[in-house]
Amino acid sequence: MIADRYEPISGGIASGGMGAVHKCNDTILERTVAIKVLASNQEQRRIRDEISALLKMRSKHVVQVYDVLTINDGDLAIVLEFINGVDLFDSSNAPQNLEKYLHLLWQIASGIADIHSLGVIHRDIKPNNMKIDHEGVVKIFDFGLSRDDGKAAETLGFAGTFGFAAPELFFHHAKFTPAVDTYAFGATALLMGTGSLPAELLEKPPRCNGSDFFSAVNFPLDATLVALLNSCLCANPNHRPQMGDVRDLLAKHLLFDRHKALVVFDKKASYLDKNRRTVRLKLASIGEISICYDGFSFKVDFVQGEVFLNNRAVVVGDELPGACVVALGSPDRKAHRRYITFDLSNPEIVL
Amino acid sequence: MSGPLNPNQVIGGRYEIINYLDQGGMQFVYVALDQLTGRRVALKTPKNNSATKRFRRSAVVAAKVNHPNVAKTLDYVREGDARFLIEELVEGRDLRAALLGDTTFLDPYLAAKVFHHLSKGVAAAHHAGVIHRDLKPTNVMVVGDYSLTELKVTDFGIAKLAKDELEEAVVGGEESLTTSSTAVGALPYMAPEAIESPSSVTAAADIWSIGAMMFHLLSGNYPYGQGLKAVPLIIAANLPQVPAFLTSNPQFEPLAQELLDISFSCLKKNPAERPTADDLVKRCSELCYSSSPRTIGSVTSYQHNAFGFISTSSGDVFFHKESVYGMLPKVGERVLLASYDGGGAPRALPVVRLTNQ
Repeated sequence: MIADRYEPISGGIASGGMGAVHKCNDTILERTVAIKVLASNQEQRRIRDEISALLKMRSKHVVQVYDVLTINDGDLAIVLEFINGVDLFDSSNAPQNLEKYLHLLWQIASGIADIHSLGVIHRDIKPNNMKIDHEGVVKIFDFGLSRDDGKAAETLGFAGTFGFAAPELFFHHAKFTPAVDTYAFGATALLMGTGSLPAELLEKPPRCNGSDFFSAVNFPLDATLVALLNSCLCANPNHRPQMGDVRDLLAKHLLFDRHKALVVFDKKASYLDKNRRTVRLKLASIGEISICYDGFSFKVDFVQGEVFLNNRAVVVGDELPGACVVALGSPDRKAHRRYITFDLSNPEIVL
Repeated sequence: MSGPLNPNQVIGGRYEIINYLDQGGMQFVYVALDQLTGRRVALKTPKNNSATKRFRRSAVVAAKVNHPNVAKTLDYVREGDARFLIEELVEGRDLRAALLGDTTFLDPYLAAKVFHHLSKGVAAAHHAGVIHRDLKPTNVMVVGDYSLTELKVTDFGIAKLAKDELEEAVVGGEESLTTSSTAVGALPYMAPEAIESPSSVTAAADIWSIGAMMFHLLSGNYPYGQGLKAVPLIIAANLPQVPAFLTSNPQFEPLAQELLDISFSCLKKNPAERPTADDLVKRCSELCYSSSPRTIGSVTSYQHNAFGFISTSSGDVFFHKESVYGMLPKVGERVLLASYDGGGAPRALPVVRLTNQ
């Protein structure tokens, strides 16, 4: 029994990146938890970092920390959400089609973006540190190497995982940045999409300058996604994308043709969606605009005369924000202006 | 300060009471500092013996749910006869205080946002096999008031506690009903089967409660009224009357009508005919609604009997009469609005007159 409360479940011991992980039953709240115990003193600072990162975390895709305990004589134990199942490295979790592949990458990218939005770097992103729970939700765990993005982010010797460690980590006094996780995400995405990592990425340091890795994945990826995923593996950390942008582009492709816009003009409501892609609005001899849904967003594809979108002049290519008002006629026409309101739906990625 | 605890008191060797926060029908709520982790938490303790009996059960039930729209259960402490539940602190107010204080109803955009978040939280609970049993505005926490940046369902399983009291109240009639704050708050949102056969409720009872809450938020009315006279009306389950303002303005009619349809689908007498929480999440994700922050301003003028301006802390905002939802505000009256910036004066949509001027 740990702390008179957590009862170890036999056969539930696994080794994590650092220290042992015990699968336990919380006898008070009657739930299964994972308890990570760190004994040695030199690890204390690391675990403090890990705890501070996890306590800040409110992500669906990052394992939850429930509590922190001091056990025995000063050892630290963190009580974590227990995720049943095998990790992503196991072939049973290999995605079977393009949609499942994009779902998987989007969830991983969401988790990493959530971590980065708190100013934290995970530092050990790899398939072994992710699991899919019984609801199909990807959970990232093992923050063992995470540190706040600050002074302490300078590496003290190599501590990554070959194949997933960014090239800059192989040099002395390398600086940890969120781009390290982005690289590791790219390698993870490649592994999940092809079943293995190419030889040049297994070199030390990996050779990854400008190569096209993602055309080789097993699924018909859109060219913009191939380019985005390739950019995650850029040798220069500054050229890798932000994980929030990666998440958003993946979401965009997952939500293709699923949006809807409610258009109200002249007291009449109509909808724009994949079945009706274009609307043309006209106030005779004053102004005219056409808006088209391309499966990703609602864009202005024609404009002429006095047309304003949220009081700004409109140009072809403008994208409608979540809610907006199009005015036909310039402000000096006062009551003669006509307004059209657009409200866009908020489709969700259902897991 | 209220309830049994005082500031600086330390519970369970680690939770230092900072201040009293609130009380529900069954429990006192405090803000505490977890000295071990440095984070602020909500600490709840039951009000009386009958609540204490089932307090741990409610903690166990709540602990099974893990979702951004559900307040996280962190710990449970017993000290002598006292019991404490430690929960994620939601830095906001309950839905009734946050969204039914300045207005009696919500515009359809905001109502859709509430509906969507609420459905997601309840769906996560149902996935974990947990039935809330007592969904009502005071059991939902909102951060950011009308701008609603976060919504979290709380007090899972408390209903299991509240059940005894509710049964007593229903049997005891009007007098005991008015003395039971739990019953008074919960009854308008209770499913027919939760009143008729409380021991056999299923997840569908939560769906009814969501529907009843949404009807209240959309219309400003309890679907079947309040107090004991609501009981036969809930059991009869004939759909409530819809006030005209919901659908009289073409700008708002399509969304308001969709929301009403969803709400009414939840208010089916037969639990088996109601949608699942997953169905609700799916339908909500197909609604066209904006989630812009809200501000309060006051109407300064009308021109040409068609449009006007609203003075806000960040400057004047243009509005058209067609962008007003519900009663038209007079000059000088305060309104709640979302504004869309752009060149020149921003434009307001929607505009809702505040109830208390």
